Amino acid sequence: MTDSHRHLTEEQRHALADGSLPADQLVSAETHRRECVACADDVARIETLMTRARDASPAAPARALDELWPSIRMRIEASKVVPFSPNAIRLESRRRARRVGSTIMMAAALVVAAVALGVRASWRPTPLSNAADTTSLITVADSAHAYETEAQTLLNQLELRRSMLRPETVVAIDHDLHIVDSAIAELKEAIAHDPNNPALRRLLAASYRQKVDLLKRVGNAG
Amino acid sequence: MKRSFCIASFVAGCVATPIAAQVGRDDAPVLRARHAVSGLQAKVFNPVGAVRLVGWDKDSIVVRGRVVPGHRFYFGGTDSAIKFGLEERGDGKAGGRSDLVVYVPRRSQVSLKTVTGDITASDVSGWFYTVSGDVRLSGTASTVEVQSISGNVDLNVVTPWVHARTGDGNLLVRGEPQDVDASTIGGTLSIASSTILRGQFGSVSGDIQYAASPAAGGIFDFSNHSGAIEFLLARSVSGVFSLSSIIGAIENGFSQVRPIASTPQSIRLSFGRGGAQITARTFKGAIRLRPQ
Repeated sequence: MTDSHRHLTEEQRHALADGSLPADQLVSAETHRRECVACADDVARIETLMTRARDASPAAPARALDELWPSIRMRIEASKVVPFSPNAIRLESRRRARRVGSTIMMAAALVVAAVALGVRASWRPTPLSNAADTTSLITVADSAHAYETEAQTLLNQLELRRSMLRPETVVAIDHDLHIVDSAIAELKEAIAHDPNNPALRRLLAASYRQKVDLLKRVGNAG
Repeated sequence: MKRSFCIASFVAGCVATPIAAQVGRDDAPVLRARHAVSGLQAKVFNPVGAVRLVGWDKDSIVVRGRVVPGHRFYFGGTDSAIKFGLEERGDGKAGGRSDLVVYVPRRSQVSLKTVTGDITASDVSGWFYTVSGDVRLSGTASTVEVQSISGNVDLNVVTPWVHARTGDGNLLVRGEPQDVDASTIGGTLSIASSTILRGQFGSVSGDIQYAASPAAGGIFDFSNHSGAIEFLLARSVSGVFSLSSIIGAIENGFSQVRPIASTPQSIRLSFGRGGAQITARTFKGAIRLRPQ
């Protein structure tokens, strides 16, 4: 397969450089390497790259690759049937950059999703066996959380406006808030004992919705 | 006949605090009148006095009332958008209440706000807000939104869309609404309308009472925390009832109807051909089904 007239293939050069070439090919490959300056130089460059990659700090390989990249690029281009023009190479670089960017974004999205699922998984002490129930549970939990966040914002606004409200209005509002907050406290306690019960979470979401509605009405009471 | 009597009795008992039958006087002096187009947008504010709105078939707006000392009447706008109301003078001498009677073109959209004053409106659409006054709406409206902190609300309207909220006040939905979203905090919520196609009803500690025949294809959702949910139904009712309570009792007064599914916390019943879908859930309030 390999003789003095035919250059080593890319695989053979790499295998020769890292010492993984099969024994039955090793003798002929070494013979060709001794006779062919081009192959010998290329194998030497690969060996250098591997040595640098092994020895260098994690930040260094980029520099080594930068130094080697032009010759590798030229070799790739030479092996192509239709060589790219410089412009085409730039376009290809942009496409590659976009692909890399897309890949990074997808990876980031996957990481975020994994973290979110991890948070939910850690929040739920016991898994549900039914997938539909799980989806429902997550949905209503998210709903309750959204209402809770909005209620807190509206409560802060109420505190700012409280002194401008009529005393009888404040009494009525506080009375209703007490009723809703008591219900929410009871539901949260029940959920602590039975966290996988979607009915409890729906009721909690409904109570938060009541609280948000009340606080929005209060916003018009000034 | 018997059924009508049952519902009438139920409705009569729903509003614990009677709402003033007549707000304002028609013979009060005219404060302002002017031409107004159909579809008028009107913004009204009367902090302590009552307001009665009447939709009529004339192309004008007329405001009647008596302005007590300490109040100032203001009025301004165009044929299509008007703003008027009463404001208290800043001298601290305001006393008494200035009631208003307002006639507007029938398809007007009104935004009305009072603090303690009652609101009465017929054939008028829009947004009605009061802190502690009572609200009574009737006639036909394109949309109705009512918000109250503690007042009673009585909706007897023909409308495609109703959104109503109150706190400790009682809320009654009757008439012919189609899409209803109504809730209270501690007040009783009563529904006596069989035209509702989409209904979302909620309370926290007040009872919810439903006395009607759910429309075929209707979807209803009832939610309560500690208050009860009671269904007073005709024996010919058609619908699937999914009832669940965490620790409250579920009572089926239709002994001849066997549950199609049940767990310790829930029960599912099918009546007739199952025309409507009704879901009711409470935390500790009872859920009761009773025949009329």
